[in-house]
Amino acid sequence: MIEFNDVTYSYREEDHNALDHISLKFRRGEWTSVIGHNGSGKSTLVKLLMGVLEGYTGEIRIDGEVLTEENLQDIRRRFAIVFQNPDNQFVGATVEDDVAFGLENNGVERDEMVRKVEEALRAVNMLEFRTHEPSRLSGGQKQRVAIAGALAMEPDLLILDEATSMLDPQGRRDVLEILGQIHKDKMTTIIYITHDLAEIGVSDHAVVMKDGSVINEGTVDEIYHDTEALISSRLVLPFTIWMADRLLEGCYMLYDELVERL
Amino acid sequence: MLSKMLLGRYIPGTSLVHRIDPRAKIIAVLLFMIIVFFANHWTGYLLLILFVLSLTKLAGLSLIFLFNGLKLILLLIIFTFMMHLFFTKGGTVLVDAGWFTIETEGIIRGVYITIRLAMLILITTLLTLTTSPLSLTDAIERICRPLKALRVPVHEIAMMMSISLRFIPTLMDETEKIIKAQSARGSTFMTGSLRARLNALTPIFIPLFISAFKRAEEMAVAMEVRGYHGEKGRTSYRVLDWQFKDTAVIIMMVLFGIVLFMIRQ
Ligand SMILES: Nc1ncnc2c1ncn2[C@@H]1O[C@H](COP(=O)(O)OP(=O)(O)O)[C@@H](O)[C@H]1O
Ligand SMILES: [Mg+2]
Repeated sequence: MIEFNDVTYSYREEDHNALDHISLKFRRGEWTSVIGHNGSGKSTLVKLLMGVLEGYTGEIRIDGEVLTEENLQDIRRRFAIVFQNPDNQFVGATVEDDVAFGLENNGVERDEMVRKVEEALRAVNMLEFRTHEPSRLSGGQKQRVAIAGALAMEPDLLILDEATSMLDPQGRRDVLEILGQIHKDKMTTIIYITHDLAEIGVSDHAVVMKDGSVINEGTVDEIYHDTEALISSRLVLPFTIWMADRLLEGCYMLYDELVERL
Repeated sequence: MLSKMLLGRYIPGTSLVHRIDPRAKIIAVLLFMIIVFFANHWTGYLLLILFVLSLTKLAGLSLIFLFNGLKLILLLIIFTFMMHLFFTKGGTVLVDAGWFTIETEGIIRGVYITIRLAMLILITTLLTLTTSPLSLTDAIERICRPLKALRVPVHEIAMMMSISLRFIPTLMDETEKIIKAQSARGSTFMTGSLRARLNALTPIFIPLFISAFKRAEEMAVAMEVRGYHGEKGRTSYRVLDWQFKDTAVIIMMVLFGIVLFMIRQ
């Protein structure tokens, strides 16, 4: 379980808080979605958790233990993250090299590495591309490689920071399907960050962020029903929710009236 | 034009030359660079040519293909030849036009130097054509490992090289996109005076630099969270496997050098 207790952070060159007194819980084995508009502080949240940014107030606890400089390397070994831009996180020269990168950093023996790389690539259906260079892959394929790189580390927690936002619909579907499979098979805890409300359907729990604060939290149903919070979150609402909200205002209306409202 | 350029390109293949350990290839090429200077007589030069030609054949590459890809370099070679033709004196005078003379020594020297230069260029091109940039980086890292004792950051340099290589296609794509975007806005860097063209390049390079820095920053974060903390305690997924044939390549090269040295006059 991961706990943020009253965490506040601001970038040095900014005058407002990127995160403003955030308190949050991510439960083990659950798929938690974090939704919020651009600049609402979602990436900052994970960067604090992964120890990329320092100098925040409040505390972050992992399984009850406060996150510190000392246990950071250990945390990084247990948590894996996939970022938004498929190109800027592809470190290796080929698919298999990239999947092996994290294992190499952790000094895993070569025989074991070969086995783990193969297993991870199979899990994301990329085994046949193992010797390909990134320039020959689609965005969706690169993100699947990034997920394989994360899986090879056998993480307790998998974080996806808008990992599908630069993909075409097909690539997005593939990635979501693979994640669902991993979540089901390995009970991996997932933090799924997105600005697309349509993508939170599968999650056990969802958090809505706005301007560095959490404005709503609950099951997907609860989130979808609290239209007021959704509208104030400045997110693009799925058409159905927007429609339902409009329709609820009056109990019935004439056809012309409906057209006019839409 | 550029797509035909062979300098620094890699052509995947399975020939014997392709399969030789990249370290052996690099060492062999370095040896060849010394051996070239042993030749001082036409038999020596002939042997050099035969040697490089048979290597080309062995690598499954055609001479015409190499020739087409190295046209630009050819200019350099011709230039060197001309220099010798006009400025090296000695032997009998063949042409005397008053303000310049061509003498036999000039022709002979010119031909010899040209052969040396051409063979050096051909063999290094063979090296890069038959070895992937990745293997080359790997090999250079292993060969330079002893330099670590002198505090040369060998691992870091190799890591930088391999990431740069990996980003070249990405940045090429990006440059193309920016050029298209700026053209669509009416930027014209294909026409006009040199100055106007250079000015038109600014709106291409600035976005390119900004994006390159952003990429570098994101890449650094991605590497950090994946546990990268330098070379200490790191294992390697890719292994180089030195076999008997690789030792044989080095021995052959040394023998070739000895032969060339023996027939010196
Ligand atoms: N490297 C940075 N330097 C300065 N300000 C930043 C930096 N990264 C993000 N911010 C600011 O912090 C706030 C939250 O950003 P971020 O966490 O990236 O949001 P999100 O991921 O939800 O889009 C924004 O106001 C943004 O302008
Ligand atoms: Mg973000």
